[in-house]
Amino acid sequence: MDKKKAVRDYHRNLAVTAGIILLIFIAIPIFVKSPYILNVFVLVFYMSTLSMAWNLLGGMTGQNSLGHAAYMGLGAYASCLLVVRTGINPWLSAVAGMVAVAVVAGVIFYPCFILRGPYFTLVSIAFGEAIRQFIINSEFFGRASGVGLPYGKDSWIDFRFGSKVPYYYVGLAMMILIYAFMKKIERSKIGYALKTIREDEDAAAAIGINPIKYKIMAVVISAMVAALVGFFYASYIRYIDPELMIQAKSTEAVLPAIVGGAAFVEGPIIGGLIMIPLSEFLRATYSAILPGINMLMYAVVLLVVIRFRPAGILGWYMNSRAKQFVDERILKKPSVEVIEEVEMAGGR
Amino acid sequence: MSTFLQACVNGLLMGGFYSLMGMGQNVIFGVMKIVNFCHGEMLMVGMYLTFVLYTFFGIDPYLSVPIVAVVMFLFGALIQHTLITPSLGTKSFTNLLFLTVGLGLLLSNGALVIFGSTYYTINTPYSQTYINLGPVTMALPRLISFGVLVVISSALFAFLKYTTTGKQIRAVSQNPVGAEVVGINVKSIYILTYGIGVALAGVAGSLLTGFYTIFPTAGASFGFRALIVVVVGGLGSIPGAFLAGIFLGLLETMVALFISPSYSDLIVFVTFIVILVVRQTIIARRR
Repeated sequence: MDKKKAVRDYHRNLAVTAGIILLIFIAIPIFVKSPYILNVFVLVFYMSTLSMAWNLLGGMTGQNSLGHAAYMGLGAYASCLLVVRTGINPWLSAVAGMVAVAVVAGVIFYPCFILRGPYFTLVSIAFGEAIRQFIINSEFFGRASGVGLPYGKDSWIDFRFGSKVPYYYVGLAMMILIYAFMKKIERSKIGYALKTIREDEDAAAAIGINPIKYKIMAVVISAMVAALVGFFYASYIRYIDPELMIQAKSTEAVLPAIVGGAAFVEGPIIGGLIMIPLSEFLRATYSAILPGINMLMYAVVLLVVIRFRPAGILGWYMNSRAKQFVDERILKKPSVEVIEEVEMAGGR
Repeated sequence: MSTFLQACVNGLLMGGFYSLMGMGQNVIFGVMKIVNFCHGEMLMVGMYLTFVLYTFFGIDPYLSVPIVAVVMFLFGALIQHTLITPSLGTKSFTNLLFLTVGLGLLLSNGALVIFGSTYYTINTPYSQTYINLGPVTMALPRLISFGVLVVISSALFAFLKYTTTGKQIRAVSQNPVGAEVVGINVKSIYILTYGIGVALAGVAGSLLTGFYTIFPTAGASFGFRALIVVVVGGLGSIPGAFLAGIFLGLLETMVALFISPSYSDLIVFVTFIVILVVRQTIIARRR
């Protein structure tokens, strides 16, 4: 069948393209030796992952949290303190940190799920700030001076390296895994329920979707991913303090998603890949003369995107001629009707 | 006892600023149903504006209040016209939210780029003048500022209550479609509202300069407290905002006095969460 073959070719082309992109990322540390550039990539990986965590709640469910730095910080603190105080293996502490943050997000945050729209955003800010203030005032959490992880020999067991290359690969793997996970959620029953809640919470309740249940699910998953990023950050920087959880960090976590396109799972990655290198370049080049120039540029891009391309860079690409060109010439995408016909007929 | 009274007075004088900030936020939120996340940054802009007027033109901080009010009103109206009104059409709450967040980032980092992270203060001949009232000592600038902001709050209250424009603003806040039907130009009311809200924040900043340091993130804590005032004082209520601001100021100083100054932020945030959740739960039960 000609149509069947066309669809099969299209899927093969998609897979090959994805494979090539992946290979490029895997090959980068082989050719790029500059720790500075590798550091920028590591930043892209974990900030995009954090942004994907936010996007599950903000983009997919329509609950705009401005407190994700607190979840990330809590995850970082939980795993760091466990390692420092009990000497437990860091990888195990990551799991423990994620569970702890899930409990905090699901139990303490529970009464807040009744809040909608702007009130949810307000409570997320207050919640994040309250956690930060609590840590600043708590002897157990090391107060404002923070917690440092021990230095030592390179080891996979302790997730501790002098070089940036292992962090690069772990960060890349983390980003890809979370991406696959989010993609899975988006296409599952949960994903559709979350999107329904985003469009109209009352209508969702009317057709039998329990909004509170799904919102809790979204917050808990999102907080757990943020906690994982927190663990990665702590292992990478090897020092954490309450500054990690300030309001501005929560905002930074959202920017890649908004710039890239919050309606897409890929949005945060695209946004992160474009914005973070730009921001880091500006910081490295101009911060001595003009501090704040990188965040200023960030703000300008954000405002321009919201004003002129409200669907983000990906949203713009989806309706552009560039996509048409890529689809027709590179991926050789058959028409939607053909794809549907073949899928209806029972697979490729 | 005298420390207690002193704390009360300090709380009252600080609370006035939270009230003024809250009123601006309240007008914006009440009319457009969007949270102005750059409200604190607007206060900061007002501070720097006053600082520039004082340093380069020698204008007394209190005399510059009307200038700041006018400039900030125009600034707010411009932002509303060029950025917020077009985005209101897209109906995307996320985008509207991050529009004001982005503006806040732009303003605070813009101030950092222009003025650097130096802490500035304005020293007027009377900034070290203190007034003794029984056991309580008050700095003169704080007292003047409080007096001015009480006048401004009353004027705002009267404006919204008795003038035609004020009535139009309230009409739009209750039902924008209905208001449009009876011939109110909703778009210009939006511009006016945002201008007034921003002007109030700017004036608060201007009044603060008499005794507060000026730095790029000076507005952050005030911005968040303004939101608390809106939620606690009730939507659309100017007297409610005034009382909520005073309550917040007193709460802070009482926590600082009886527990520890480092806990005052924690207590403020937790109180806010509790009030918000309890209030929403009661509203939900009533339905």
